[in-house]
Amino acid sequence: MTTLVHRRLVGEQINALLAEGPESSAIVTDDHRQSLTARFRAVASLEHRRLDAWTVEQGGRPAGAFRWSPASARRALGNGALRRVMAQPTASITEAVRDEVPDQMLRCTSGRARPGSLAYWLASSPQPVVGLVIAEAANWAIQLGEIADGVEAPWHVAPSDAYYDVAAARTTLRARRDLVVSRGDGRMIVRVRSGSPGRSAGPGLRADLTVETLADARGVAPLRFIGLWPEAGVCLAVDGTMADLRAGARDLVRTAVARRRHASPIAA
Amino acid sequence: MLLHSPLDVVEALRGDRLARPAIDRTSAGGLRAMLEDGIYEIIGSERPSTPVVVRASSLRQTSRTTDLASSPQGRLRGVLVSQVLRLLSVGTAIEDFFDDAVCAWRCEVGSPGPIDLLDQLDDDERARLATDVTAHCVTLTRALGVVPSRWMPRSSVRAVQSLAGGDVVLRDVVDLMIGTANDDVASIALFDVTTAPLGDGAERTMRYHALVQALRTSTLPLRTSVFSTATGELWLRDVDHELLARSVDEVLTCVHDQRSHR
Repeated sequence: MTTLVHRRLVGEQINALLAEGPESSAIVTDDHRQSLTARFRAVASLEHRRLDAWTVEQGGRPAGAFRWSPASARRALGNGALRRVMAQPTASITEAVRDEVPDQMLRCTSGRARPGSLAYWLASSPQPVVGLVIAEAANWAIQLGEIADGVEAPWHVAPSDAYYDVAAARTTLRARRDLVVSRGDGRMIVRVRSGSPGRSAGPGLRADLTVETLADARGVAPLRFIGLWPEAGVCLAVDGTMADLRAGARDLVRTAVARRRHASPIAA
Repeated sequence: MLLHSPLDVVEALRGDRLARPAIDRTSAGGLRAMLEDGIYEIIGSERPSTPVVVRASSLRQTSRTTDLASSPQGRLRGVLVSQVLRLLSVGTAIEDFFDDAVCAWRCEVGSPGPIDLLDQLDDDERARLATDVTAHCVTLTRALGVVPSRWMPRSSVRAVQSLAGGDVVLRDVVDLMIGTANDDVASIALFDVTTAPLGDGAERTMRYHALVQALRTSTLPLRTSVFSTATGELWLRDVDHELLARSVDEVLTCVHDQRSHR
């Protein structure tokens, strides 16, 4: 049976979610990985596909072309700013965001950024757009910082999202993660989303849980995967059980199938 | 409390630091229960096909009044002044209020839809709008002063609250929020900007912002305010139970009106 816990987004509730989680979690073995690979290989694709919780929640419906905007840039810059504040606690979050933006632009001038990257877009954006990006990133970082400040267990800002390349299946899986909270030998992952959770928020969380587990070198699942929706003031959590991992993997494969159907409607 | 063109709006929002009450993390549950009970009395057990959506604008204007700020030109002006506030809140240097606001807005919106209204203006209308926006932004800039980054300014803070199992949705955007919920004393101040003169609708909006933020964070804000860039007036109220209870009544009235118009 899969798990799904629903709570209001307040400090005590988040700490309770972190404290009440299971003591141990499931482990993904090589057999599990090979089985998943075989399933993805069975869903042929002409081009490389990228799947994440969002595509699972959307049932594989194709999204519009990606474009950088203050809203799409805020998470990368906001999390970077929060890491900066953790390293140098004297700086305010807004100042850290202001430092993060020119650092990104420097990546562009030093040739370390690819065309189409955030660094390129920022470097080519006019001053008012950069100002709006700073405002959005500050919103994100302050919000995440407030949530993290209330967490009693040791935590750190995730260095990056989790990625897992499914061997020979032209598929990359991605899981969003914003905070990593330690408990004993295990870990819990916190991810923040805007808006409010829809009916498919649970499957989305399970997809993130599965990818996070696959991306772990030892295949150890996090004890709990917690999704926060600060605009709605709610949080949902799923446990790192084998039933949840299986459900997450099933949803990812179904999404790949649905996406192929959307790509070739006549064949479907 | 009514303040006329204060020298520094941000200082007024923060107020006397020693006089701040302890943070209230318990009352929001009661407000939610009051809303749930009131909505049940209005809607009953019937499930509407589409949810009733309440926004600050739903409370600002009653069916018996006409708000000039809700005209197309008024809405454009309001959106552009909000963009300028966002830039000011993080200390971005602004060269031209109108051009910079339009540039920021175009980038934020992306799709052509809302921008069409601006692009359809002829040269004279556009020049009038630019002059109008600049005048409002000058008033805002003078009154706002510098927002210290230590006060953690957040702009265009969104909130959405589902009630009655999703049959009623409260949506809100606060133009500027300062302070933190992680302190022992209340410190969150809400700041709304309107390009219209202040009236009854502005008061309801102030209360609505406080209510929705209380529901979202389960923490009562310290104060709520609204500033008119048309007159330079700032209305500022400490958030208390009476203010929130009035807002609950106003939301329920709005839900009732929307239900009866269906």
